[in-house]
Amino acid sequence: MSGLNVSRRTFVEGGIAASAVAALAACGKKDDSAATSSNAGSEASSGSASKGNVIKYYITNPVAIDPYNAQETQGMQVTQALYDSLTGFDWDAGKVVPKAAESWDVSDDAKVFTFHLVKDAKFHNGDPVDAASFKRGWERICDPTMSTPSVIAYHLNPIKGAEEMQEGKAKEIEGVKVVDDLTLEVTLKEPMAEFPYICTHDALAPVPQAALDDPEGFAVAPIGNGPFKMDGKWVSDQYINLVRFDDYYGTPAKIDGIYFSIQKDPATAFREFEAGNIDFTDIPAGRIQELEGKYGTSEDGYTVNPGKQVLKGEEAGVYWLTVNVNDEVLKDLTLRQAISLAINRQNIVDTVFEGTRLPATCVFPTPIDDDPSNAWEFCKYDKEAAIKLLDEKYPADDKGKRGIKLTLSYNSGGDHEDIMSCVQGDLEAVGIECEQSSMEWAAYLSAMGDGTVQIGRMGWNADFPIMDNFIYPNFLTTSENNYSKYSNKELDEGLVEARKILDEEKRKAAYRELNAMIGKDLPVIPLMYYAHNNVGSERLKNLYYNPQTKADFEKAEFA
Amino acid sequence: MKETNTNNFDVAEASEEARTGSGSVRPSRTLWGDAWQRLKRNKLAVIAAIWIIFIVIVAVSADLWVPQHFGSPTEIDSASMKDMSRLPPSPEHPFGTDTLGRDVLCRVIYGARISLSVGVLATAISTIIGLIAGALAAYNGGWWDTLIMRTADIFLAFPYTLFVIAMLAVIGPGIQNVFIAIGVLGWPSIARVFRSAILSVKENDYVDAARAMGASDARIIVRHIFPNSVASVVVYATMNIGGAILTESALSFLGMGVVPPNPSWGIMIQDGQTYLATEPWLMIMPGIAILTTVLAFTLLGDGLRDALDVKMKDA
Amino acid sequence: MIKYIAKRIVQFIPVFLGVTLILFVLQNVVPGDPIKLIAGEKKLDEQTEISLRAAYHLIETDENGEPVFDENGNTIETPMWKRYIQYITGLLHGDLGRSYQQNGKPVAEILAEKYPYTIKLALVAIVIESIIGIAAGMISAIKRYSAWDIGVTTVTSALVAMPAFWFGMLQQLFWGIFLKNVTGGAFYLPISGAGGPHAEFQDWAYYMLPALTLAAVSTAYTARIMRSQLLEVLNQDYIRTARAKGLSRKAVIFRHALKNALIPVVTYIGMDFGGMLAGAILTETVFNWPGVGFETYRAITQRDWPIVLGSVTVIVVVVMVINLVVDVSYAFLDPRIRFDGSKSE
Repeated sequence: MSGLNVSRRTFVEGGIAASAVAALAACGKKDDSAATSSNAGSEASSGSASKGNVIKYYITNPVAIDPYNAQETQGMQVTQALYDSLTGFDWDAGKVVPKAAESWDVSDDAKVFTFHLVKDAKFHNGDPVDAASFKRGWERICDPTMSTPSVIAYHLNPIKGAEEMQEGKAKEIEGVKVVDDLTLEVTLKEPMAEFPYICTHDALAPVPQAALDDPEGFAVAPIGNGPFKMDGKWVSDQYINLVRFDDYYGTPAKIDGIYFSIQKDPATAFREFEAGNIDFTDIPAGRIQELEGKYGTSEDGYTVNPGKQVLKGEEAGVYWLTVNVNDEVLKDLTLRQAISLAINRQNIVDTVFEGTRLPATCVFPTPIDDDPSNAWEFCKYDKEAAIKLLDEKYPADDKGKRGIKLTLSYNSGGDHEDIMSCVQGDLEAVGIECEQSSMEWAAYLSAMGDGTVQIGRMGWNADFPIMDNFIYPNFLTTSENNYSKYSNKELDEGLVEARKILDEEKRKAAYRELNAMIGKDLPVIPLMYYAHNNVGSERLKNLYYNPQTKADFEKAEFA
Repeated sequence: MKETNTNNFDVAEASEEARTGSGSVRPSRTLWGDAWQRLKRNKLAVIAAIWIIFIVIVAVSADLWVPQHFGSPTEIDSASMKDMSRLPPSPEHPFGTDTLGRDVLCRVIYGARISLSVGVLATAISTIIGLIAGALAAYNGGWWDTLIMRTADIFLAFPYTLFVIAMLAVIGPGIQNVFIAIGVLGWPSIARVFRSAILSVKENDYVDAARAMGASDARIIVRHIFPNSVASVVVYATMNIGGAILTESALSFLGMGVVPPNPSWGIMIQDGQTYLATEPWLMIMPGIAILTTVLAFTLLGDGLRDALDVKMKDA
Repeated sequence: MIKYIAKRIVQFIPVFLGVTLILFVLQNVVPGDPIKLIAGEKKLDEQTEISLRAAYHLIETDENGEPVFDENGNTIETPMWKRYIQYITGLLHGDLGRSYQQNGKPVAEILAEKYPYTIKLALVAIVIESIIGIAAGMISAIKRYSAWDIGVTTVTSALVAMPAFWFGMLQQLFWGIFLKNVTGGAFYLPISGAGGPHAEFQDWAYYMLPALTLAAVSTAYTARIMRSQLLEVLNQDYIRTARAKGLSRKAVIFRHALKNALIPVVTYIGMDFGGMLAGAILTETVFNWPGVGFETYRAITQRDWPIVLGSVTVIVVVVMVINLVVDVSYAFLDPRIRFDGSKSE
């Protein structure tokens, strides 16, 4: 009997709830006061920022925001706002500049670097930022007993003893020494003149003791030394809320906070932008020209100002096809050359990206090195030449097919499907049969690592803006990102030598030679260089979005 | 319909009687001939059937006439693609064009091939497995029945979409795998329907009579039980085709079904999602194709159900 | 009564074991080493790899969780059946395991974050479904063959034949984009997300479109069941008797017919609620809703099997409990059903 009563009561309550919903329908939109008050209860907020002065910034759900494992653009954008590393990079001047370290000294053999830290810098919880906190942060990255070992520990590999710690053979990094509170001495395994550039990486940040005491809490609410601090914790798939850190050692930020609005894909994010709920987002493929007309184009391609809101600046990133050089079919260099010649790169960038990206000619994007001699012989579109190359070894049958069947793999989402469809079209036009295979990112990476992928895609964005970063992680025989399974002894040795060169011009020349070496073997087929296709709202002023796809929130203002 | 109004019998009772398959009051001798007559009188079912036939003809004959008018559904013309990108509907491109400059109508037509083949083949797989399992369970009873029906329970306890996705994550995407995943996971419902149909037929006198006359088990199944219980399976399978088409579109929408550049309706909707605000026809057209096709199979299934007097357990 | 419930629970055990076993086998036939997923692209040194394998119960360990080695100094791989037993034992202690990704977060914690969204969305959807479905079905039955009836039948047929994600996108198109343009931004609804501190709307507004989408198919079924049940009841003898006694049509419908016709409808809605708690992958994907369906879908695509196993386990148990509750209350409502175990299929 009770059953009937219960169901009746729920039914009635349901009715009341529904009419309440209908009554409220007229006032669903928040005003500014409602925005802060409605959340005051749920957030452990300290002086929650008012709605008007917070940049609402689109990211996808990050893998990690804790610097020890910050690995992709999404998480690093958050890490960057929360942390300051030893050095920074000034894109205008094209050189490395002081940040948490006010200066540094280099030994003559380019093996020992001594960093002098800024005085009186504090973490968001009040702890002092000292040399020990850097050592702590770096050792956390190399610590193999973390619940999820860091995937970015390779950045520290140049330091003496870093690999030993990663392998569990040492409890600390031998080459990192705390001289005194404000002096950090780093000894490298091999000379590397460009080490201070590596220190610009956002993950190589200091952490307070709290990171070791409560690693799980730290992962969702990291405590940093940067211009912004966490307000509450990372709410997975929803948002990460940051407010200005008023005790920041540098110039305090002009905005009150950053609201990282987590959206599942750029298409959703863009709809939210159009609805006025997001201030800065990616532009979906094919809408750049339309939006340029509507919002105006940024003058330098990197800075958002009212009426000049669409960014098209070149990025320090390259998009290439990785070709498995151990594959039965693809180990033939002629075939790789023909494939590279068959792809109409200009057409891809024109159609899918409305010409905002540039076709690639080698592994270095233009903001990294724009020397014209870098271009590879086979990294261009020449259909006739491709057919000629193929005809010798793979004669076409009467249907124009050459008996070559390739699988093009990519991670689902983004514009990869369109790009790969274009590549497939171009390859089939010269008689190479293709099929596509799309996978989710993690599964895709796993397949790439296993070497089961024939032709895949990969984008490489600079971790730090030097040429070395485009070669070392991707083409060294032992590198983990070497998905082509490429191995060239000459290149491996050349890299070690190049790193030693103190003279900048000579060093660059050495890296250009390495690039040419790769161009002969074609373990990758560069397709295009990334360029910004982003748009900011008209509220934003002076928001600089650098070629490494990080927004510089410290200088941003509201119009 | 008029019959029911003048009829003083209880509605529920009448259909209960029909379900047991006795149908003794009707003059016509064959179940199917009778059903055909009634189906013809159901206007909605006839329209649905005509629509299905139309789609099948268009899909099957597509190679003969579509490429001349609308180009290829998959190939991209490098040279002209930039100018052809996302054109609004026009006389030349009645449904517009997509980002890569392909005609949307053409892709919708070729998409029908995928949807129909998934619908029919997946249902065929489910039906074959379901018929065998249902027959084994119902006819043998006892231990067989328990084992098969418990297995069916396990399959039905899974959240269906999750199960199909998990299965595809294991066997990989691609149209063949979509047939297999949807087909293999669809059997329990058919097995249940067929089992209860057999059980109700089995109770009938003529089965006992046949057995008394010394007919073998196989003969009883083939000659007596099968023809009399297959009606419900036919109805169920017809409706199931619509369900399989919906599932395929969902899988392709999530990027786990048919592989691009093949023109699945689900993929087309997924592609169109980006342009919802500016070029909504990119997602509306394939959606209408799914809607009308699935609706046609549902209405035809409804018509068959009424014509064959099958009472379905689930609405 | 208690005997019936106990019997149902006992019957549920083999189903539950079967479901988890199938998933467990699926997980193990998937190519790819879980440890690779945990490590991302990093090459693990041996020591780390062994301790990770031990932590995820992939190799034999002693009672302190330290790996056990065979005579050659190699670790011993735990056979699948043993891991399955360990998993079930863990479940009984409320341990759902840890994610392969997401920094090894406990699955229970992940589900606890996501479930509230799914439950709240399901509740709103059920309210919509009950009100619109029952009302439409009633009107349809009472005014049989009217324009209303035909309209309801057409709309319900169309709703059932639509892909849920497409319907969701049409909602976005209409409520979010079209209305905003037409009213000049005066009235429209948010089209994705679940609100948050700096969101444009109050949190409840974010429920509207996903709930409407989630409720669409169920509302259609509710209306159809309501219609056919009410028609059937109205044809019953006692209703005709009541009418003959001179009661008004309205009184008959509301005082007698409705109560009996509602029983199967309420049952259906109850079962449907269970289904909704399984998480609506498509609706949650279209609306960027941070619920358990989207999480499970993402876990499948990322091969994060502990989350898949954990969430399906929870879903299956929840659905089972709800179905049991529905069946028991059904028996209370409908005197024709007895708990002697002879309830027909």
